[in-house]
Amino acid sequence: MAIDANDASGGNGKTAIGIIRRRKATSRAVIISDKIADWVITVGGLMVILAVFGIMVFLVQVAFPLFLNGDVQESRDYVVSPPKELIWVDADEYLTIGIRIGDDGTVSSFHLDTGTKLQTLNLDFGGQRAISVGATSKRDNLAFGFEDGTVRFAVIAPKVEILTGDSMPASAQRLNDRDMTDGSAVYSQIPGNQLRRITFETKLEDPQKISDEGAAIIAIDYRIGGTAERPTRSFVTVDANGIGRVSRTETQFNLLTQEATTRVGSSTLPELPQGLRVSKLLMTSQADQVYIASEEGDIYRYDTRDFAKPRLAETFNAFPGDERLTLLAFLNGEQGLIAGGSDGAVRVFYRLQPPDARTEDGYKLTLIREMESHSSPVIGFSASQRNKTLVTMDLDGNVWFRHNTSDQTLLKLKRDGASDEGTQLMLAPRNDAVLLVDGSGQVNFWTFYVPHPETTAETIFGKIWYEGYLQPTYTWQSSSGTDVFEPKFSLTPLIFGTLKATVYSLLFAIPIALLGAIYTSEFLHNRIRATVKPVMEMMESLPTVVLGFVAALLLAPIVETWIAAVLLAFGALPLSLIAAAYIWQSLPSQLKLRLEGVPKFCLMFVVIGIGCYLAYSGGPMFERIFFYGDLKAWTNGDIGTGLPFLFLALFPLSFLAVAYVFRRLVGDRYRLMLREFSASQAPLVDGLRWLIMLLVSMVVSYILAAALTAAGYDPRGGVVDTYVQRNALVVGFVMGFAIIPNIYTLAEDALNSVPSSLRAASLAAGATPWQTAMWVVLPTAMSGVFAAVMIGMGRAVGETMIVLMAAGNTPVLDWNIFNGLRTLSANIAVELPEAVQGGTLYRMLFLAALSLFVMTFIINTIAEIIRQRFRKRAFQL
Amino acid sequence: MTATVEKDTIRSEAKPRSVRKYSADISAMGEPFLWGLGGALAFGIILIVGFLALIFWNGFTTFWPKPIEVVTITDGTRVAGEPFRSEQYRPGPEILSGLTDDQRAEIVADEGFVGRTLYRTGNYDVTGEDFRWVSNFQVTDRAYPKDFFFFERQEWGAFVGTIASIDLNGRKLSLEELTLPGLEAEQEAARDRFDEVHHIERTDIGNVNHEINELRLDLRRAALRHGEGSPEYQELQQSNEARIAELQKDYLALANQARAIKEEDRKYRITLQTVNGEEKEIAISQIVRFYAANDLSFFEKVGVYLSRWGEFVSEEPREANTEGGILPAIFGTVVMTMLMVIIVAPFGVITALYLREYAKQGRLVTIVRISVNNLAGVPSIVYGVFGVGFFAYMLGGSIDALFYPERLPSPTFGTGGILWSALTLALLTVPVVIVATEEALSAVPRSMREGSLACGASKWQTIKWIVLPRAMPGVMTGLILAMARGAGEVAPLMLIGVVKLAPELPIDGFFPYVHLERSFMHLGFHIFDVGFQSRNSEAGKPMVFVTTLLLIGLIVLMNSSAIYVRNRLKKKFAGSQF
Repeated sequence: MAIDANDASGGNGKTAIGIIRRRKATSRAVIISDKIADWVITVGGLMVILAVFGIMVFLVQVAFPLFLNGDVQESRDYVVSPPKELIWVDADEYLTIGIRIGDDGTVSSFHLDTGTKLQTLNLDFGGQRAISVGATSKRDNLAFGFEDGTVRFAVIAPKVEILTGDSMPASAQRLNDRDMTDGSAVYSQIPGNQLRRITFETKLEDPQKISDEGAAIIAIDYRIGGTAERPTRSFVTVDANGIGRVSRTETQFNLLTQEATTRVGSSTLPELPQGLRVSKLLMTSQADQVYIASEEGDIYRYDTRDFAKPRLAETFNAFPGDERLTLLAFLNGEQGLIAGGSDGAVRVFYRLQPPDARTEDGYKLTLIREMESHSSPVIGFSASQRNKTLVTMDLDGNVWFRHNTSDQTLLKLKRDGASDEGTQLMLAPRNDAVLLVDGSGQVNFWTFYVPHPETTAETIFGKIWYEGYLQPTYTWQSSSGTDVFEPKFSLTPLIFGTLKATVYSLLFAIPIALLGAIYTSEFLHNRIRATVKPVMEMMESLPTVVLGFVAALLLAPIVETWIAAVLLAFGALPLSLIAAAYIWQSLPSQLKLRLEGVPKFCLMFVVIGIGCYLAYSGGPMFERIFFYGDLKAWTNGDIGTGLPFLFLALFPLSFLAVAYVFRRLVGDRYRLMLREFSASQAPLVDGLRWLIMLLVSMVVSYILAAALTAAGYDPRGGVVDTYVQRNALVVGFVMGFAIIPNIYTLAEDALNSVPSSLRAASLAAGATPWQTAMWVVLPTAMSGVFAAVMIGMGRAVGETMIVLMAAGNTPVLDWNIFNGLRTLSANIAVELPEAVQGGTLYRMLFLAALSLFVMTFIINTIAEIIRQRFRKRAFQL
Repeated sequence: MTATVEKDTIRSEAKPRSVRKYSADISAMGEPFLWGLGGALAFGIILIVGFLALIFWNGFTTFWPKPIEVVTITDGTRVAGEPFRSEQYRPGPEILSGLTDDQRAEIVADEGFVGRTLYRTGNYDVTGEDFRWVSNFQVTDRAYPKDFFFFERQEWGAFVGTIASIDLNGRKLSLEELTLPGLEAEQEAARDRFDEVHHIERTDIGNVNHEINELRLDLRRAALRHGEGSPEYQELQQSNEARIAELQKDYLALANQARAIKEEDRKYRITLQTVNGEEKEIAISQIVRFYAANDLSFFEKVGVYLSRWGEFVSEEPREANTEGGILPAIFGTVVMTMLMVIIVAPFGVITALYLREYAKQGRLVTIVRISVNNLAGVPSIVYGVFGVGFFAYMLGGSIDALFYPERLPSPTFGTGGILWSALTLALLTVPVVIVATEEALSAVPRSMREGSLACGASKWQTIKWIVLPRAMPGVMTGLILAMARGAGEVAPLMLIGVVKLAPELPIDGFFPYVHLERSFMHLGFHIFDVGFQSRNSEAGKPMVFVTTLLLIGLIVLMNSSAIYVRNRLKKKFAGSQF
């Protein structure tokens, strides 16, 4: 611009005017750069703001599928021939081939997606028909029972081979986009230019005579245990004469002759009641339990741990009403038992070991839950091989896919037409399909995608009755090595742990931070304040990993050794400070005047030091007097009563009560009386009053404690219980230390922003500095101080490293200050690195993160709104 | 209270004498409460100072060579080691029952407490323990023999003991024959050989391996792009095979060279003897540092001290991170923080500019501002979770599928790495920068903006030449605070990219030099890892203290510079509305 002006004055008139006119227009570059900046800043700013909200959206988006049931992807129905009486169906885990096994031993296979008929194999039953069938949980080892009292074992399993891409036989015909067949095997195209060849293979063994009288085997169940080299097969049978047998085969391999010899040993179960109509038969993989169910709903549970001498452990009626039992089966893991009734009821029982079991072996079948009921008799069932899902089918052809732990019906499928007793049903090995085949050759095949069957709002936040537990609990136990493990995803203990850590750390931090802030703002010498404040601010950004390290590796062992001294310090420090105050009061006023200010503040340090020393040296004595010489044994409940502890806990409360009563009854009179004394005597009298009040409150506290103890109340089991080295006390202390700077700085800012005119007015009206601080400054700044506490709380809620390192990470639900805890944040840090992307645990952890986000966001927003209000108010003052 | 005071005054009117006595009402002074307030502050300060003193004391004394104490205990065996720390403990009944009556009486008189000392005895390979507690009542004799040495070894931790003999290429010598300076010279020569082998194995062979790996990946990429039967693929395969054969030859040559040096090195050996007479023969090159702990002058001690510090800040870790240096962690922390600042600075400043200069001030902006403020309070672990899910798995997964298909299924960007860590922390610290910048922007007087606009400057020109320069110190403060917060944050990094031991630094000599996808080491995580995940947390403790000292030093430095800048800013704008 300046150059323009020079040009204008320097050049001749006409041109100058021309130039000026031309220059008046802003240069293009400026306009463009202005526009670009405008655009970039607006877009950039909005983007960052969006990104910040995007975090929440993303967390919700990842966590949300936990609450969805899932959906059916494909539904096929077709007819395969020939129709026949079916006793079993099976399919491979890639959902390629389905097989039907008829009672005459024919094994006919078909392509699951299209229904194309594939090869048929024959199990040579020697002309007999199988009348009962039992199978292991993987569905590949079967046992058939026959009319003549014999049993035959068979292996009918899919064989999967991975081949290179060019090994497809020339004669193969296309089935669908993925599969081709050569008539017997199916070839599937898989990524990486490879082929997967699937066939079913069968192997039938010689018959074993089980029923000596040759009575028909009407029910059988079969399990395989032992090692791969020496498998033991166990099976249980009931014959037409009503005799139950539990049998075991042992195969021994002769190294010299390379021959395997199989021996069968049987023992008879205790006699069943006459006329019992055996409906179902079950056995566990360990072969230690056998269940026989009658049509009336009576379940006979046998303890077969002693193979030679099985005994009846318990009888139990699953359907006390008129309904008949139509189904009894194990859930995956064999801990849970499913019973279906003729009225469509589906009940789940666990075998539990309650203290009052009153059965032969101490276990007891307990009804856990009644799942959503079918409207007609339940006749078909299949349990998952991997988790706690199951499928049930009723006579009307309804097929429901459910989950036991979460007690939800995930999918309700319906086939055209009704089912009957011969309709066979199976849940695919990967829980992603259901295959249903009936005697007429009608096939229904549904594939579905149900990624998170085990979670609902109820399982995440509510009490759930898990397998092996005596009652419903809130439990977090996410992973284990085996398939039969029931994951327990309850966020409640974690949220509780978060709250526990927060509460204990605030209990420690709030007094120190707020009292310190009031003192700094109202009474501290300016010069000291100028150094204290920045140091406190700097402590805010102290890495918490350092605090966690100090807490866990240095503090926790020290606190464990000196626990009595630490507890004593909570009383010794305040008491020694107040005692020092009374002594200070009685000092000559000249000395007081000289020491006022910085020296007095230094004296406070000395008093703190003395208090700490008193606690240190008095610790053992304190432990002897109040905790019978061993605090840890006391917390266990091994020795002593709760009385001394109650006395200590009630002491501060009774002191407050005594002080309040004193103030109401004699407060004013006492103060008038105090004025009658001279300046040197009054402090002594006042100190004496304090001591008397202490004594009185001791007496009151003791009486209360004795009364409570006499009433049978023991604090152990509540806020104090068994001592663990990494506990809430240490966490509270160190996390409190971490949030003190936060609360302190914000509270001090709030107190400081109270206009000094208010202070001046109060002091001028004759109030002492203490009265001014307490009754003028603090009420004015109250909302700001409250906001400071809220922000400190927000930080405590989300703190990770300290709790991760010092809290022991046990997800338990108790307020015991001497026990550990697990917070949401520590849980994420521990488990996310191991979680499979997109799995239930992964999404659960995102949900945990979301809950943390929401918790802190609410706390902080409240704090922020209060703070904004306060600022406005402080500004108006 | 005000009510009571009024009541008092009314009553005092009735008794005129008491007006004089008014000052004697000492409860108005609230002295006990004042002491409570002051005591709380004093306690807080003691905690902070005590904490810092603890860190500083332990951090600074860790490397100072301590004397070796040889303790003869009651059962006749001897324990030699550095006294590590002492404490009071309560022995259990099984220990008490094994004591004499006098000892028991003494313990009872001491409230059941007994003093004990932890000795760092080293010799893990011989005795199976590094540390040993010795209770005071076990000690019958203490001595400080001058012939005891403290050896820091490449493997198996420290060795405390005497030198039995030295074998120099077949020449058997005792220490007297070789003399200490002679041994030192031998050790230095052996270390040189060791370093040379290390250099060949890590750098030279590493280069060869890197190139071979790159060639394989090229081939895989060609296969994915053109198909395995294509002429491009065939051509590349042939040229690659030739090159790989050449490289294999190089590799063999280098490996032979290294083997020859190792062969030579194995001939120089030393036999050490523990205090209880067990002998252990090791190669001299295995000794990183040794000194006669009880025979050191002050300056020699300083020498050992400084050499340990030197190793600490310039070497890689040994012994599962519990010994050696932490150079990779320092490097990782610094690179990550720098990357974070590069990302956070423009976004934070732009957002603040938008909120303060462009957006229409109203209810919406207030809400946004509150939200931004709140985000500073959202737990860092939540950002970590977001980072893993969004950056690593979602963004990184897509990047891998698009640009690095040849490396799949092992992820390149699809897992934690330094870029994702920096982005996550940038998100975490962006509120800090926004708040600080906004504050600085609002401190620029309105009159200056108006003046500039009145002179005909455009909005951007005003911001660029008038507003931003004034606000710069504030922006810097925000950035430094963001750095301090970012450098100290561990929880989110544990989820996204920090590892226990990173074999490769994020910046090295291989194209493209800056490897943003690599995982890295971090000082904060190092503390967590060594303190909690190592075999013996006791052995790691000194290391943790030194690392802590370094980390706190870094953060205090950043914070104090931020405070300094802020104070200058305050002074500069003391006159304007703030």
